[in-house]
Amino acid sequence: MKPRRYHGLKRPRLRQTWNKYNLFNIWRSRDPKLGKGDMETFFQQKWKAKGMLRDYHGEHVVERKWVRMFSRRLLSVAEMDPKYMAAFDGSELAAGRGSGKEERPDWGAKIVPKRVQTPYMQMTFAPMERRLDIAVFRAMFASSARQARQFCVHGAVKVNGKVMPYPAYRLNPGDMFQVDPERVLYATGMPKPDPNKQKKKKSSGQNAEGESEEATEEGAEAEAEAAAEGEAAETKEAEAPEQDPETTDAPEPVKQDMKPTRKQLLAIVEQAKAVLNEQSDLGVRQKQQVRKFIKEVRPLVSRTGRADASQTEIAEELSNLVADLRLSGSSDDAAPATTEQSRDTFDDLSKDEFKLLSKRIAEYVREEEENPWDPTKPYKTPWRPRPYMAPFAFIPKYLEVNHNICAAVYLRHPVARVGSAEVPTPFPESVSQLAFNWYLRRR
Amino acid sequence: MPPRIPGPSTVSSALSRCTVPSASSRCQPQQWPATQSKASFSTTPARPRFTKIRRVFRNWINGPGAVFRNHRPGGTNYLQPPNDVIRNVDRPFPLNPHFKSQPVLDDRAREFIWSKIIREGETVKAVSAELGVDIRRVAAIVRLKEVEKDWIAEGKKLAKPYARAVLGMLPTHTFREDRRNEPFEPINELHVHPYTTKQIFWPTSESRHFTRADAAKAFHPKLLSADERVPHPELIQMEKELLQGRPLWDASVRFKESAMESERKAADKQLAKAALEEKFTTRVHSDRFEFRFKQINSENVGPKGRARHAVGWRYGAPYYDRSKGEIKIPTSVP
Repeated sequence: MKPRRYHGLKRPRLRQTWNKYNLFNIWRSRDPKLGKGDMETFFQQKWKAKGMLRDYHGEHVVERKWVRMFSRRLLSVAEMDPKYMAAFDGSELAAGRGSGKEERPDWGAKIVPKRVQTPYMQMTFAPMERRLDIAVFRAMFASSARQARQFCVHGAVKVNGKVMPYPAYRLNPGDMFQVDPERVLYATGMPKPDPNKQKKKKSSGQNAEGESEEATEEGAEAEAEAAAEGEAAETKEAEAPEQDPETTDAPEPVKQDMKPTRKQLLAIVEQAKAVLNEQSDLGVRQKQQVRKFIKEVRPLVSRTGRADASQTEIAEELSNLVADLRLSGSSDDAAPATTEQSRDTFDDLSKDEFKLLSKRIAEYVREEEENPWDPTKPYKTPWRPRPYMAPFAFIPKYLEVNHNICAAVYLRHPVARVGSAEVPTPFPESVSQLAFNWYLRRR
Repeated sequence: MPPRIPGPSTVSSALSRCTVPSASSRCQPQQWPATQSKASFSTTPARPRFTKIRRVFRNWINGPGAVFRNHRPGGTNYLQPPNDVIRNVDRPFPLNPHFKSQPVLDDRAREFIWSKIIREGETVKAVSAELGVDIRRVAAIVRLKEVEKDWIAEGKKLAKPYARAVLGMLPTHTFREDRRNEPFEPINELHVHPYTTKQIFWPTSESRHFTRADAAKAFHPKLLSADERVPHPELIQMEKELLQGRPLWDASVRFKESAMESERKAADKQLAKAALEEKFTTRVHSDRFEFRFKQINSENVGPKGRARHAVGWRYGAPYYDRSKGEIKIPTSVP
């Protein structure tokens, strides 16, 4: 069970999440200075350090499970330069003891350069990084380790092509794990606005933090959707005249297939409803207009079911309705104007300019195709990364990730090198050392 | 805490609140007054709306922390450590200087590596040495790229916007065909073997030429020398040839040949192992199943009769993983 104050501000605990409170806690955390004074016994220092680290590293893992996973063998690698290895066979390191070959220390030096050490103690929680759920979190497929765990349990994670429902599975070097891209997009994307929450906010007054930004973005989306509706209507209009000559005969309209029209109408109604639910910045009058539009489309839908329905009539009425519907007056007024202008200016454009324009349009269309507006998704579309993601964005070297297919390979176990350790931990080495000592006991 | 003795003012205020007809019929002395101005006679101070730390948080998240809300493309966006003048570009955790966010290969570099291996048929070791990418990483990149190509062929939708966004937040490294490429990571790293972490007393004559191979023997009789344990022993051989005065093009050709040879050897070894396995297996096809019978020597049970590979090595000892509430997590997925 998740602790009640998971991201508390009063007693901050650092967690494996991309939460903004967690970011704030990391930002304000200072070196705990364990063991610097003489106020605590060694036991107390170790206890505190271990608690701090366990709050971050797999706090959802039961302590006795972690204790069984813990290994006192810390892995490291040494870089071997092939040039050096070719030139020397190692005997130069053994030679010269007492023969005057060694370098004498410069006792008079003002500044003694500090030796760069291998931070072995930062590798304390290396076995935890082997766990499947934590690897999924490290590969940036989930926004928290707990969410990654849920993905495993719900069967969205595959290891070497087989569904692995155990988040405690320990990856072996060379294992490939893949997560369902829809889940990844949901986990890392901007969340959909909660309709229940929004109503509350409106009643209490608009005091939300940073809402202005979102409002403007949503405004832009509203315009895009309005345009999409217009397009839909246009396509309908385009379709209708094609079938017009066929419908002139008397007996044929009875057999006319109205299903596509009905479907399209229903889709338009759905879209309008989604606009109503999602867009918070629509004015009261605009909302009224949208509701009126939905109301007036309904009889059209029912008319498609009748025997004497004709597509052209319905399309005409629909286009009238769409024309009446003016969501954001300025944008709607501007759109036809710009199209007229562009028609005029197309002739004036030189060939290069025209090419550039068509290239831009193609790019825009491709982007639309890759990242479309889709209200059925559980995240906000078009997809955009969730807020406060960038400060947590890193991929450790022991993973090779292909983000296009949401898959990654666990190359090897994390290792320590001179001056760096591969286990991502927000704590300084002194704390990790104390925690390592805690887990060393009775071993 | 001692019981609070009501002073005359609090008593009167409580009484007055009870007697006010417009308020709720029940007396609620515990309720905090909404604001000071509404109940100026109250002695209890108004509780602040936010605690101090929440106010600090709000100020930070709306002030200096606002830059983290939306990523600005063109670099990383990590927390700046306090008292640090230079802009932090590679440390996600301000308190931990040992963990660095190292660059990842971008899409173009991965495509380049894939085409080198699959299209041009170069060996993994040669590509690894040329571009400075770990052997295992090269193999993983090709494996993942193949899956990606499969998806494209099947018409499955890739998570392109996500990939673009994430790669925009990470430091990236790229390769170009037409120019000299910087190595991506150290490729010739030696695993620190536990045998070599001990301090041993090894008396030897001062005149002895004590090489890395001798040191390995001193640590353990079966331990190979570092020259043989590194991932790229062929690279060391090439450098040796260069030192002996062989021209670079010749040495590199010989290196490629030896890399090809070693890969072929490894493949042959694997094939031979599979063939041996097949030799001792009899396959019988029925309409539903394929039965595989393996020949084993039942006498081969180790000194105590309980060798791990022998039949009945757990004779008499129950498997607890079949009992209620125990789950059996696989240790490997083939």
